[in-house]
Amino acid sequence: MRRHLPQLGGDDDENEINLTPMLDVVFIMLIFFIVTASFVKEVGLDVNRPDAPTTEVKPEDANILVVIDANDDIFIDRRLIDPRAVRANIERLHAENPQGSVVIQASKQSTNKMLVTVMDASRQAGVYSISIADSAG
Amino acid sequence: MRNKQASADEEENEINLTPMLDVVFIMLIFFIVTATFIKEPGVDVDRPDAFTAEQQFDAAILIAISGNDEIWIDRKQVDSRSVRDAIERLHLENPRGGIVIQADENSTHEQLVIVMEAAKSVGVTNVAIASTND
Repeated sequence: MRRHLPQLGGDDDENEINLTPMLDVVFIMLIFFIVTASFVKEVGLDVNRPDAPTTEVKPEDANILVVIDANDDIFIDRRLIDPRAVRANIERLHAENPQGSVVIQASKQSTNKMLVTVMDASRQAGVYSISIADSAG
Repeated sequence: MRNKQASADEEENEINLTPMLDVVFIMLIFFIVTATFIKEPGVDVDRPDAFTAEQQFDAAILIAISGNDEIWIDRKQVDSRSVRDAIERLHLENPRGGIVIQADENSTHEQLVIVMEAAKSVGVTNVAIASTND
């Protein structure tokens, strides 16, 4: 068996590039990037906040307004709604008004659990454009 | 000039490094490309449940709001007034990345609004609220 490359067969030591230092560098870079790679798998819900600084101008009839008060009670159409029934209510209102998006007006003291519950219910009902309105109280 | 073994029987003893080099380079490129250097907040929160949660691929800054309404960014607790500065600094390092807010189930909406307002004023449009998906 002869060597594949004819040049190398002639005088070995002159033509063969020593790859060892490059290999060292490449391995060190590889180890660095493996160590620093943090594969954070974060799942979540996208938020679209309305661009306007004040959101009172949004016409109430064009949207489905969901109010969360300071006691974590959810109100739709001024009626108290159980968290499990939010989806059905949004589905019904969305059927009446398919263009409307969901506007969540949450009290500052309400917990984010309720907010995510409402957002999730809305997305389950098929309304993906959700905005979070500023609210007082 | 040669090694003794190499001169004796060259083809058998010399390992061909080329395939390994190929593999190593491909791994290197993969890790360089996927390295995003996510800033983790450094505090564990109870995320709310959501069925429709989607994986957030471009998350670069994670901001945690703990159950007692403390805001954590980049392993430091941040005052609600300096949230904007902290986000701005991290956003400059990675301008394409989005923000994921890890809000605890029991944190109040007020803190969430502070963080979202800060994100919006810095110019980050891609904001998501973290949740569990089950």
